[in-house]
Amino acid sequence: MSQNRNKLINLLIGNLANSIIHIILEKAINKPEINEKYRKELVNSFQIAKKYREKINPKESSFPSGDIEYIKEKLIKRVRAELSLRISKGYQNINLNLIKPEVDKILSELLIR
Amino acid sequence: MELIAKISKGTLMDQIYIPKNRAGLETGSYVIIRPAILGQEQETKPNFYNIKNIEPIKVEIARRIFGIISSIFDCENIIIVGSFLDKGFNFNDLDIVIINESKINIKSLELTVKSKLGFNSHIICLSNKELLAGLRTDPLYQAMLSRFVSKQRLIFKIKDMPDYKILDLHLLKSQFLIDNFDILTGKEKYSLTRNLIAIKLFLENKKITNEMIDSEIMRLFKLKTINELKDNIINKLEFLKRFKEIYKKTFNKIMEGIKNEPKPQ
Repeated sequence: MSQNRNKLINLLIGNLANSIIHIILEKAINKPEINEKYRKELVNSFQIAKKYREKINPKESSFPSGDIEYIKEKLIKRVRAELSLRISKGYQNINLNLIKPEVDKILSELLIR
Repeated sequence: MELIAKISKGTLMDQIYIPKNRAGLETGSYVIIRPAILGQEQETKPNFYNIKNIEPIKVEIARRIFGIISSIFDCENIIIVGSFLDKGFNFNDLDIVIINESKINIKSLELTVKSKLGFNSHIICLSNKELLAGLRTDPLYQAMLSRFVSKQRLIFKIKDMPDYKILDLHLLKSQFLIDNFDILTGKEKYSLTRNLIAIKLFLENKKITNEMIDSEIMRLFKLKTINELKDNIINKLEFLKRFKEIYKKTFNKIMEGIKNEPKPQ
């Protein structure tokens, strides 16, 4: 990976992680009116991630398997760390089992896998 | 004498044709041209909250906005907030809050405002209940309504009731600055810092106004003016170090709140 590509991928991971954390926290709060109200912020992170994705080659097809593994692993680690931090501080109702399916879903949407 | 006529398109200038046979309005006399639609738009005297000075043209724009929206549907109140109320004309769009019990077609209303006034607008529609709940639990609602122009007089007395899980979602937004510092513009950095500091002030039970938030940002980040941040001329290392410290403390406070929240039955 070139340095610039590497940097873009890390920025992509950061923004995707934020989106996934947002989705899982929304589910933990479980209030429909909140989901609607805060959807905009979630969309923001995802839109930024999308912009990064558009700058990374290959743009029109899936990433090479090495990249996919790297992104997926980093993403899962990062989301798990953020959510686990909350759980360790007493936040209840966070479902860590949602991480993997949400990561898979978001990676498919961005043509990463 | 009063006449209603249509503006026609001309080559160099547009014109209004009026009948030659008329009583009054002599050739060479001065007349006032005013949109006939104003008769349908309700004339309202705007109410100001926490606004010391505002340009007369903006008062006229506010009046027109109230008229345009009220002529389309009857809502409880219309509130103009945001950078439109700042001194000068640096606002990007008009932030309008409509208080109405049922949902409205916001997109079409934004298009109407654009076509009639030439300004982009960002409209949100809330019920009275949603507005009060937002003010009680959300620091950004408090900042938003710390200064406004409204169609009807608006009085609210609220007691802060932090919803820590919502605050956590809000705070997450500012995490974005830590990850994306290099690519963000000064205005984006300002907005994310503002978000963090509004939450901090809210948790400290302090009054949240735009001025309070700006002065707290300047104090905490040792800035001479808020424009250092808006113009993106801050020291990255120092700023980020301080930002992370404040973020962490605020996050811990929120988590403490979540831990001590009464459990649902």
